Amino acid sequence: MLLLTVLLTLALAACGGGGGNDGGSGGNGGNAQSSEGGSSGNAPGNSAGSSDSGAKDPEPVTLRMAWWGSQPRHDYTLQVIEMYQQKYPHVKIEPEYANFDDYWKKLAPQAAANDLPDIIQMDISYLSQYGGKGQLEDLTPYLGTIINTDHISENAISGGKLGDQLYGFNIGVNTIQFQYDPELLKKLGIEKPDENWTWDDYYALAGKAKEAGLYFDSGFRPEVFFGYYLRTKGQHLYSPDGTSLGYDDDQLFIDFFAPLAKLVADGDTPTPDVKAQIKGLEDDLLVKGQQVGVWQWTNQFVGLQQVANRPLEMAHMPGPNREQGLYLKPSMYFSISKNSKHKEEAAKFIDFWVNDIEANKLIKGDRGVPVNSQVIEAVKPTLDPALIKVFDYVAWAQENSSPMDPPDPNGAAEIIALFKEITEAMDFGKLSPEDAAKRFREEANAILARNK
Amino acid sequence: MPMRFAAWKNQLTGYAFISPFLLGFLIFTAFPIAASLYLSFTDYDLFTTPSWVGFEQYERMFTGDPKFWRSLRVTFLYVFVGVPLRLTFALLIALLLNRASRAVGLYRTVYYLPSIIGGSVAVSIMWRNLYGDEGIINLALNLIGLESVRWFADPAAALWMLITLSVWQFGSSMLIFLAGLKNIPPSLYEAASVDGANPLQRFFRITMPLLTPVILFNTIMQTIAAFMTFIPAYIISKGEGGPLDGTLLYSLYLFRQAFVFYDMGYASAMAWILLLIVALLTALVFATSKYWVFYETKED
Repeated sequence: MLLLTVLLTLALAACGGGGGNDGGSGGNGGNAQSSEGGSSGNAPGNSAGSSDSGAKDPEPVTLRMAWWGSQPRHDYTLQVIEMYQQKYPHVKIEPEYANFDDYWKKLAPQAAANDLPDIIQMDISYLSQYGGKGQLEDLTPYLGTIINTDHISENAISGGKLGDQLYGFNIGVNTIQFQYDPELLKKLGIEKPDENWTWDDYYALAGKAKEAGLYFDSGFRPEVFFGYYLRTKGQHLYSPDGTSLGYDDDQLFIDFFAPLAKLVADGDTPTPDVKAQIKGLEDDLLVKGQQVGVWQWTNQFVGLQQVANRPLEMAHMPGPNREQGLYLKPSMYFSISKNSKHKEEAAKFIDFWVNDIEANKLIKGDRGVPVNSQVIEAVKPTLDPALIKVFDYVAWAQENSSPMDPPDPNGAAEIIALFKEITEAMDFGKLSPEDAAKRFREEANAILARNK
Repeated sequence: MPMRFAAWKNQLTGYAFISPFLLGFLIFTAFPIAASLYLSFTDYDLFTTPSWVGFEQYERMFTGDPKFWRSLRVTFLYVFVGVPLRLTFALLIALLLNRASRAVGLYRTVYYLPSIIGGSVAVSIMWRNLYGDEGIINLALNLIGLESVRWFADPAAALWMLITLSVWQFGSSMLIFLAGLKNIPPSLYEAASVDGANPLQRFFRITMPLLTPVILFNTIMQTIAAFMTFIPAYIISKGEGGPLDGTLLYSLYLFRQAFVFYDMGYASAMAWILLLIVALLTALVFATSKYWVFYETKED
């Protein structure tokens, strides 16, 4: 009996202990895991100005603020906090930060304990989970009163809406693209992909990689890029109410994934086990010069270029119907927790974050391109060329994209894991695209049906 | 009634002395156990209050979750291959170290070292690197003329990474074996030698039977520990249990349900099923023990 007790204790401890232990493991190579990746230019400094003190309220306030990211992001975020505290001496901000994976493991128990930080960096795939279950404050009443939205488009704000409630304030805009090393691409015989290239062009080009002794790319995060593909066909990944998949024809799944599995089988893109051994951005295949490019979010461009330490270029997503498929996405939000005792102070900080020019000279584009058009204008001249490229690209996409889908439904984390599992099996050649399509539909619908 | 009072006071003093443990046990062990039993009958996502669903979680586990069965299969393989290997290895080393030699103290320390650092994150990360495509294991295989193995591509190969890691951490069982070996009276060996028994006979006729209580103890403890293995699987598969669920040990899957999918009800139910499995296995081992465990002190 004693043994049983010991066992159970340990079984429970395994859960608790696991959460603590994985801090050491974390840091999956930025581009592999976090939905927006991380790391960007971190030049310290120019914290000028900010002399006026709006501190009529002498009552000291302590706010807790949580975010995920990598070291450069932690560094400048702490600087912005410092700047804010100098401007508003009665406010003290306690930071809580982690990498993307660990962040969510930490946040959930805090939610259960009614102990969420006041300001929470929020991701689109968790917005329904936290917002829909009453953990987050509706920010609508703060708009125009505390959070100045004069120079922020309605479109950018509505990206944080769940129904009529605004559960997250968009703090940066992102879109998807192909980022590549032009020198390596030349080895495949072309200077750059055509403006209007199609999926067929992509297959043909990528198919030359092995011959050149390279990998073409590291594959596509299915929930993002299959989602894009479906949009180009006028379909959506999730049904509007989030209780089932949004597309009916499994042929779409097959059409998208079968050619990708073939590229893996032919050795033009890496197998899952090769990718599994990448420890971080430092030994990313592109960084090591073994891979031509990568499909990812615009805010990840600068970090990649920094680590690769050579000029990289951007190309559009393949078409046809790119404009219909492409969308701007809030790369992340700031939310205010329902249990916060200082919601107005938290909102003031968000206002500062999105509207203060000096602060945004530190933030740059790391959390996506700023939503405030005035801030963009003021900050852009101070940026280095790679970031200017990102800003320009997002500006281009603004004109050449369609409104995004509603935030991911509950269970998105499980769908993402399922995607990963099924595409891995396909890439290992253990599952045919036809069977994969069927299995994905069955299991995904079972997960989503729990939202009914 | 002075006596009564004294006795009562005496008892109270006793309870006061064990209260740190008692409180800790009630708050950090008994209560969580009870709570997890309750939660296993609910749907609980950490955000909303748990709602009672009866046996639904258990039903889903057994009828609607192929991953549960896959993780069970992987775990059973891990336990039933890993534990015997580990114990055999531990016993072999213990036998070697049981010989009188000047450096034996040093050896004992050295061989015990992996167990001290064994469960840690750092070792698991090292293990990942050893088995990498260009890691030292493949290098060694190439040296002796064998093909490299893609350890991260094949579910069966990936599980072997975990098993070898567990075998490598044989230290604690080894120490217990060593203590058991020391307990065997040398006179028995002397008598056997006089009767002309060779070393093999001495091992199987004297050492093994007298060691059976220690083997029983080690088997049970190691089996329980093996069922709960978490850290190596978590680190080596980057928390996902891949490739193709090849390293999805039960605890890892439980953890993923709880902290990645926020499905605390399901995770709690899984914890109780694990408890049942281990309890049954332990009971089974105990039940069979009367046929193979030999207690010296018992006269029959």
